[in-house]
Amino acid sequence: MNSFRGFVLCLGLTFSLPWVFLVVIPFQATSDLDVVEFEVEGELVTFPPARVGEVRGAEVYARNGCAYCHTQMVRPTYAGTDMWRPGWAGRGGDESELRSTLPHDYLGEKYAYLGVQRHGPDLSNVGWRLADEKWHYQHLYDPRAINPTSIMPSFRNLFDKRKVIGQVADDAIDTFEKNGNTWEVVPSNDATSLVAYLMSLKKDFLVPESLAATK
Amino acid sequence: MSSETNETDIELRAQIDRSLRFPLLFFFTSAAVWLVFGTALGFISSLTLNFPRMFEGIAFLSYGRVFPAQMNALVYGWGMQAGFGVALWIMARLSRSTLKNPATVIVAGHIWNAMIMFGLFAILFGWGTSIMWLDFPKAFAPAVIGTYIVVMIWALGMFAARRDREVYISQWYIVASILWFPWIYLTANWFIHIDEGAAVIKTGINAWYVSNMIYMVLAPIALAAAYYIVPKVIGRPIFSYGIAVFGFWTLAIFAGWSGMNRLMGGPLPAWMPTFGSTAAIFLLIPALSVAFNLVKTMGARSDWVSYSPALRFTIFGVFAFVITVALGAIMSIFPAGKIFQFTHAQAGYDLLAVYGFYSMTIIGAIYFIVPRIVGCEWINGGWIRFHFWFSAYGTIAIVAFMVFAGMAQGYIINNWGEDFLTSVERGKPYLASLALGWGFIVVSNIAFLFHLGLMAFKRGRTDDVAPTLIHKQPEDYFSQPELSKEGANA
Repeated sequence: MNSFRGFVLCLGLTFSLPWVFLVVIPFQATSDLDVVEFEVEGELVTFPPARVGEVRGAEVYARNGCAYCHTQMVRPTYAGTDMWRPGWAGRGGDESELRSTLPHDYLGEKYAYLGVQRHGPDLSNVGWRLADEKWHYQHLYDPRAINPTSIMPSFRNLFDKRKVIGQVADDAIDTFEKNGNTWEVVPSNDATSLVAYLMSLKKDFLVPESLAATK
Repeated sequence: MSSETNETDIELRAQIDRSLRFPLLFFFTSAAVWLVFGTALGFISSLTLNFPRMFEGIAFLSYGRVFPAQMNALVYGWGMQAGFGVALWIMARLSRSTLKNPATVIVAGHIWNAMIMFGLFAILFGWGTSIMWLDFPKAFAPAVIGTYIVVMIWALGMFAARRDREVYISQWYIVASILWFPWIYLTANWFIHIDEGAAVIKTGINAWYVSNMIYMVLAPIALAAAYYIVPKVIGRPIFSYGIAVFGFWTLAIFAGWSGMNRLMGGPLPAWMPTFGSTAAIFLLIPALSVAFNLVKTMGARSDWVSYSPALRFTIFGVFAFVITVALGAIMSIFPAGKIFQFTHAQAGYDLLAVYGFYSMTIIGAIYFIVPRIVGCEWINGGWIRFHFWFSAYGTIAIVAFMVFAGMAQGYIINNWGEDFLTSVERGKPYLASLALGWGFIVVSNIAFLFHLGLMAFKRGRTDDVAPTLIHKQPEDYFSQPELSKEGANA
């Protein structure tokens, strides 16, 4: 290379191609991604339906590194058999209701935690699959009490221990005796938000025709 | 340069090395501390997979926090920082200019280390972002980019002040890496944290970022080191300058497209991962051409890997580069990706790229550089041999077993009739070797840190000017027609 300027220009050019076409343009093109309204049997519905209370929970999810072991992405049949695994691709007993995940499924989230590894199962539709909040609290507190071979860490840091005064709280998941007092284990705010987030993970809603091509 | 200089070559080299002594020792020793720390976290994270009850209730030792902390410690604390030292030194030597302002570089180095420390604390104590390799809270980004520029601007400065018109391939790689890192890093941070956009594209950009960090930021520094070390140790010029240039530009062209194949089958437009897959396969071209060129450069002297520590680590790194790219290419095609995606194999690939390829090459360069800047020789060839074998064995064991574990795990995940927990069970036997492999790597790096620490305090060997070798050369070694002793002392 004769001139330094020419060299830097070439470096810039080679890299600006993927930068523009793989990053900038797709980002801009999808930045206005929004809910879609469409008609089903004469009734106006939105895709995806409104979802509440998940933003803070997603933060707890991120801060504890859940995304390093759990994916939130159901692959279409050309890239795996996720869709056929019971409970992963939706409620559906009916095959036609199962589907892989779409960009719209992540609307309202700051970041899509698609995942890194599958040390644990996919959570795309965990809100349907495991709809019992109490189950989640117990599982977070002591995963091996539910699945003895689980390798999930126990998230005791998300629970508070306090002395029982009067009755044991409704949301207590465990009690124990210490120094002659009864103590109870109750979910902290973080645990409540996290479970609310998990319950909101539902990615099998009906897709309008206009988007079905990408299904 | 028009001004006449009276300095002899040796005096100039000594001046260059003196000007770089303190910044480099600072970078290398603190990087080695993070290397031990990061690999120790790797050991801990692999233990938690084997024995989930081990650190029960200790939040900062749970897998979801230790794993990201380990990767960030290895990439930024060790990798980037050791890269600073190696890039500055090679740039100075090849440009034949001294580092004008070591103090600024050292101050920036302190800021970098403080930032790594706080960033890792943040991850471990529950403020991580769970965005791969960008796990530090987003407020850290300006400090990362600021300190990077303050350090690396000097490499560009030395390049601008070079005395030869001739530009070496190592300089190309270093300049490219310096140009690309701020671009890639700012892009990722801007689109992920600041600009409003679709969440899934942000995740795609993260996958792109990880791959670009490997192939456009870390790899160029390691390849610059390899292209410097191999000819120097062997005492012969690069086999083919044309192939070197070809390897450089093919890397520049293809690497930027790679990465999104990590999310194949994801909710991104399908063409994005597909481009990533294609690029992952095309990356075989630069990888093979670099390896071919360096092996040909060694020629008949390839048995020097038995003696020269720098050469041995470097060549291991170069082969690991080829295997990294090959593994990436295999995992990126759909039939194999189906099985390997989201399994242990992915973790094996990341480790191979960061440790097997990048770190081993950089360690080779450090073994070459440190005696020259401190003025004494490595104390014991045996320790270096220990470092090499434990690191190499640990890496090979982890990568090989993780690929098999990935197959076992991926097969069950795709077999929808089997319970998911069976896939965890099938992976478990291999996890024992993951922990063992990490254990080996930690132990080897503790030895390295100790050895490096003694060198930094000038406790090295001064009885003899000959370089410390892994094995002693046989008496009649240099009487072979191909070999001359000058090469060994270059």
